[in-house]
Amino acid sequence: MIAQNFDYLTPVSLAEAFDLLNDPGAKVMAGGMSLIPMMKLRLAAPERVVDLRHVPGLNKIQQDGAMLRIGAMTTHHELESTPLVRAACPLLAQAAAAIGDVQVRNVGTIGGSIAHADPSADYPAALQALEAEIRIAHRGGERTVLAKDFFQDTFTTALEPNELIVEISVPLEAKCTGASYQKMLQPASGFAIVGIAARVSMDGGKVSMVRVGVTGLGGSSYRAANVEALLVGSEGSAADIGKAAAVVAEGIDANSDIHASAEYRAHLARVYTARALSAAIARAEAQ
Amino acid sequence: MKIHGSHALPAGAARAYNLLQDPEVLASCMPGCEKLVKVADGTYEMKMKMVLAAVSGQFDGKVRITDPDPPHSFKLVVEGTGRIGFMKGEGLLRITPGGEQCTVQYDGDVHVGGTIAAVGQRLIDSTSKLMIKRFFDKLCERAAAASAP
Amino acid sequence: MATTITKLDTLVGRKIKRKEDPRLITGTATYVDDIQMPGMYHACIVRSPHAAAHIRGIETKAALELPGVVAVYTGADVKDVGPVPCGASLPGLRVPHHHILAQDRVYYVGHPVAVVVARDRYIARDAVDLIEVDFDPTDAVADPEKALAEGAPAVHPQWPDNIAFNYHQENGEVDKVFAEAEVVVKQRITSQRLIPCSMETRGVVADYRSGEKALTIYSSSQIPHLMRSLVAGMLGIPENKLRVVAPEVGGGFGCKLNVYAEEALMGFIAIRTGKPVKWIESRREHMQATIHGRGHVDYYEIAARRDGVITGIKLKLIQDLGSYHQLLTPVIPTLSVLMMPGLYRCKTVRADIVGVFTNCVPTDAYRGAGRPEATHGIERMVDILAAELKMDPVEIRLKNFIHSDEFPYATGTGLMYDSGDYTKPLKTALEMANYNELRAEQTKARAAGRYMGIGLSTYGEICAIGPSPATPAGGWESATVRVEPSGTVTVLTGIKPQGQGEETTFSQIAADELGVGFDDVVVMHGDTSVVQYGIGTFGSRATAIGGTAMYLAIQELKTKIKRFGAMLLDSDDVSYANGRCTCNKSGKSVSLAEIAGAAHRAMKLPANTEPGLVASNFWEPPNFTFPFGAHIVVTEIDKDTGAIEIRRYIAVDDCGKVINPLIVAGQVQGGVVQGLGQALYEHGIYDDSGQLLTGEFMDYAIPKASMSPNIEMASTETPTPVNPLRVKGVGEAATIGCSPAVVNSVVDALSPLGVRHLDMPLTSEKIWKVLQGGRA
Ligand SMILES: Cc1cc2nc3c(=O)[nH]c(=O)nc-3n(C[C@H](O)[C@H](O)[C@H](O)COP(=O)(O)OP(=O)(O)OC[C@H]3O[C@@H](n4cnc5c(N)ncnc54)[C@H](O)[C@@H]3O)c2cc1C
Repeated sequence: MIAQNFDYLTPVSLAEAFDLLNDPGAKVMAGGMSLIPMMKLRLAAPERVVDLRHVPGLNKIQQDGAMLRIGAMTTHHELESTPLVRAACPLLAQAAAAIGDVQVRNVGTIGGSIAHADPSADYPAALQALEAEIRIAHRGGERTVLAKDFFQDTFTTALEPNELIVEISVPLEAKCTGASYQKMLQPASGFAIVGIAARVSMDGGKVSMVRVGVTGLGGSSYRAANVEALLVGSEGSAADIGKAAAVVAEGIDANSDIHASAEYRAHLARVYTARALSAAIARAEAQ
Repeated sequence: MKIHGSHALPAGAARAYNLLQDPEVLASCMPGCEKLVKVADGTYEMKMKMVLAAVSGQFDGKVRITDPDPPHSFKLVVEGTGRIGFMKGEGLLRITPGGEQCTVQYDGDVHVGGTIAAVGQRLIDSTSKLMIKRFFDKLCERAAAASAP
Repeated sequence: MATTITKLDTLVGRKIKRKEDPRLITGTATYVDDIQMPGMYHACIVRSPHAAAHIRGIETKAALELPGVVAVYTGADVKDVGPVPCGASLPGLRVPHHHILAQDRVYYVGHPVAVVVARDRYIARDAVDLIEVDFDPTDAVADPEKALAEGAPAVHPQWPDNIAFNYHQENGEVDKVFAEAEVVVKQRITSQRLIPCSMETRGVVADYRSGEKALTIYSSSQIPHLMRSLVAGMLGIPENKLRVVAPEVGGGFGCKLNVYAEEALMGFIAIRTGKPVKWIESRREHMQATIHGRGHVDYYEIAARRDGVITGIKLKLIQDLGSYHQLLTPVIPTLSVLMMPGLYRCKTVRADIVGVFTNCVPTDAYRGAGRPEATHGIERMVDILAAELKMDPVEIRLKNFIHSDEFPYATGTGLMYDSGDYTKPLKTALEMANYNELRAEQTKARAAGRYMGIGLSTYGEICAIGPSPATPAGGWESATVRVEPSGTVTVLTGIKPQGQGEETTFSQIAADELGVGFDDVVVMHGDTSVVQYGIGTFGSRATAIGGTAMYLAIQELKTKIKRFGAMLLDSDDVSYANGRCTCNKSGKSVSLAEIAGAAHRAMKLPANTEPGLVASNFWEPPNFTFPFGAHIVVTEIDKDTGAIEIRRYIAVDDCGKVINPLIVAGQVQGGVVQGLGQALYEHGIYDDSGQLLTGEFMDYAIPKASMSPNIEMASTETPTPVNPLRVKGVGEAATIGCSPAVVNSVVDALSPLGVRHLDMPLTSEKIWKVLQGGRA
């Protein structure tokens, strides 16, 4: 499969990248794991591909107070394998490890994944549950958007043309908090049929904080506030979890395709929510 | 693939019906529609550009309105062909009055062929829903704007 | 480097690493796409996005104006080339004229409509987008049962019933047996469309020398010689002016056991332009326009006695042929009929095939070709009968097996099974599985509300295809063996490996027979101007038939070697062993190299003996071979999601004598995983309008390494009397044994819910629906 002709550009600074992107035929590329397949199929045909790989500083992973700051160009493999991420934000490491296959994880990046906003991508669930902050730069400024506002719809985010994601910040996992990402994978692509990220804090035998992020079910990832409301304050027993998980698909227009009907997806969302919550609670209690 | 759903519009049934038949309104609400020209009664030629994620594709097509039953229902047929494939959507739109408001219900079928069908199975459902939602969101804006004093 | 083993060891029967692997693993093998020629053009094909449409016109002007484009050809240019050949000759078969480019209509998504020739691949691809084809789509039909219904769209307008052929075969008093049967079980069983996904897609390079009027076609093919005969005919050139080379072939699985429009099309372009031209298929083209496999809807009925003895088998087989006949399309379901009784003694059988046209890409041979479908059918039916009679699936099989003392055994379908001991692999598998304990565990699991399943299949297979009277284009195989002047050995074989490892197994046999080193043997194949005419690699035939031809050539060669040895030793009593010819009286000996040198210098010749050391053999096998085996699969179902876990997979295969256990294990492993693909994941899905919905690996699920279970393997060895090597064949065996074992296991797991049958693929959602109470 052969892409249409394009110019390949390698800026070495953000400023240069913005200059190059100031062209309607230009498209930014990170790992290329979503962009290049589209180009090969000629579903996408940018005239200029602007590769961010040579822009320094975009793949740093740093601890900054209570936050973990992750450069947009950090690969899935780096996230799943970096000790700091595994210790300070295991949920993100788990979601990264659940993506596709080794080749894809070696090249694909977190910035590219969330900019692409595939409705079945894995990170969005984790970032919703982590209430991540997404730092977006444009020529001459930046802004920060919360995950819940960033992911808007199928392939649709808060990114404006000529904006770039530069960093994703997530909270360091607090004491007595456990998290889990659970996914049913689609056997062809490895994408999530549904994926559920859960974070739970336990305090005195009660659920003191719970966050649930969902991917794959609807057009976009979301935080299941209704599940959280039912579970918080409870003891987090199997019955509590079951009751809370039961509402995760409520009000969601579930996707349907040759891999899973809407009905099955909604069911899986309930099952995996319960599993992710149980695992998260068990981890929280083990601390 | 079957599609169905409903959207509320801030307009009475009769006005909603007329808005939905107005080529200028349709053109401004259909996502990516660049041109809509009437070629016969109830038949329009359309040029449309779909841009979604990294995908972009140009479609030439036709929009047809048949079986009109004002202000209750009509059939809408949208066909488009482009380099990345072709699509045909056919649906019955029913308008249920509710005073100042009305509800537009749609029930239909979408057929997709060519490259997009062969490689985009996973995404056709969520993408069609997104397109329909964008259409109705715009239509709501139009309805609200037009009814504003 | 290949392992060097001293000639004192016998190599046959040993685990020897494959000669082929270093070049495959290091990326230094030469595939079609590695071929570069000066001034070579590149071709890209315009394909139909519609399943059925009239072509009103094709506008090529913009494409021709693109700098670098050399030519565009459409159906009108090539209407006299071809047709694409169908090798089947069933009575009353309707054969649509299969042009190499569509004429005024297209019949499936992917149908070639035009071809662009350009100076490079990129320009060719760009130009494809500039060609405007004015299609007028018409109604299509993509499902064989819908195609048979009254009023269905006609795939080929001249045959409104969409029927390509009806085929009937019968033995014994079927009606009487069914009328008198104590039990009859019936089931509709499907074997879905599958897409053969060889790692290397198709590819063709054609090179024409106008001075010599000689055409060379390089193609990724399993059958270079047959291709030469057929493509020469398609192009109207003499067969001896066409050379076909199949270089390294990166997998075939049957999809390269064919002659395609593109091969003749590239030949046409090379002749027309006078320049070499290359076409490399994209993965998308491969999935929509090569061939598909399977595509059965089977209606089975089994008559039996209450004690479990099967007395009659009836089958109505609806074969989805697609829109055209490729080389063997209509033949494949007839193989299913031959294999219908499986390993069981029942001789009262009736089969009716209806071959149906649909607006899909043609189906044809895919690993197992007809036999997996048949085995799946009979192995499912035996389990269904066992459930009906409340018998253990092992017991019912033992009751119906042909006994080891009944061979050769004439089946009710006209075959003569060569040899067998069907209880042997079954017993081995049961022991490996610890069957009784597994059943006890299952009882406990069920009491605890878990769904655990134990499934088995005892499969048979028709291999070493096959005797010429049973094969469309000759079923023999050829070999030439040369001892070079230096004493090294060159084998030219008519087979064409695609990853099976015959360079290794043939070297083992030749090294043993001639007493030379493993590395001293070079096995050449795939080039029609190097190798004498041959048939190819498919139908688990290469070692059983091609290996035998080589073995027999070597025997002839040994006679000649001994004559030269006797002359050199000046003795009339010599023997040949371990690469030396020895005088039995004096004990003096000469090496093969010395003999080869003498035979080529020819200073002196033995009486009535020609110079040189070369012998050829064209071997016609007297029969097929019939390997068999037993697979046991333990599954557990996730009650909440319907997901299937393969807890254990046990495969015991009996492929006759084992030449190289490593290669047998590799074939079994790959075969099982491919079978799992059909059982659990793969499905080539067309929608009602004939669009292929699984046109990419993002949607078509082949199993990956991470999805494959650990496979516990063993072999039993029951030699065949059919050939002197005693080998049967193992290339397709495990695929055939796998799918029924998996489905039987899952059905067994769900049997407490009253489940009797499930069609493949067993997706989690399908199982979940069953668990919800909706019978699948
Ligand atoms: C075989 C396969 C299997 C996969 N399986 C999974 C899976 O199981 N789960 C999963 O979640 N994903 C999966 N993916 C997708 C994968 O995770 C991609 O890596 C990811 O979606 C895109 O990241 P990238 O860095 O490759 O981005 P690219 O492909 O380079 O870019 C994607 C899009 O984002 C834009 N973009 C990139 N970087 C930025 C930035 N910094 N700012 C703004 N826009 C930007 C690009 O312009 C482009 O539109 C799979 C992909 C493949 C090929």
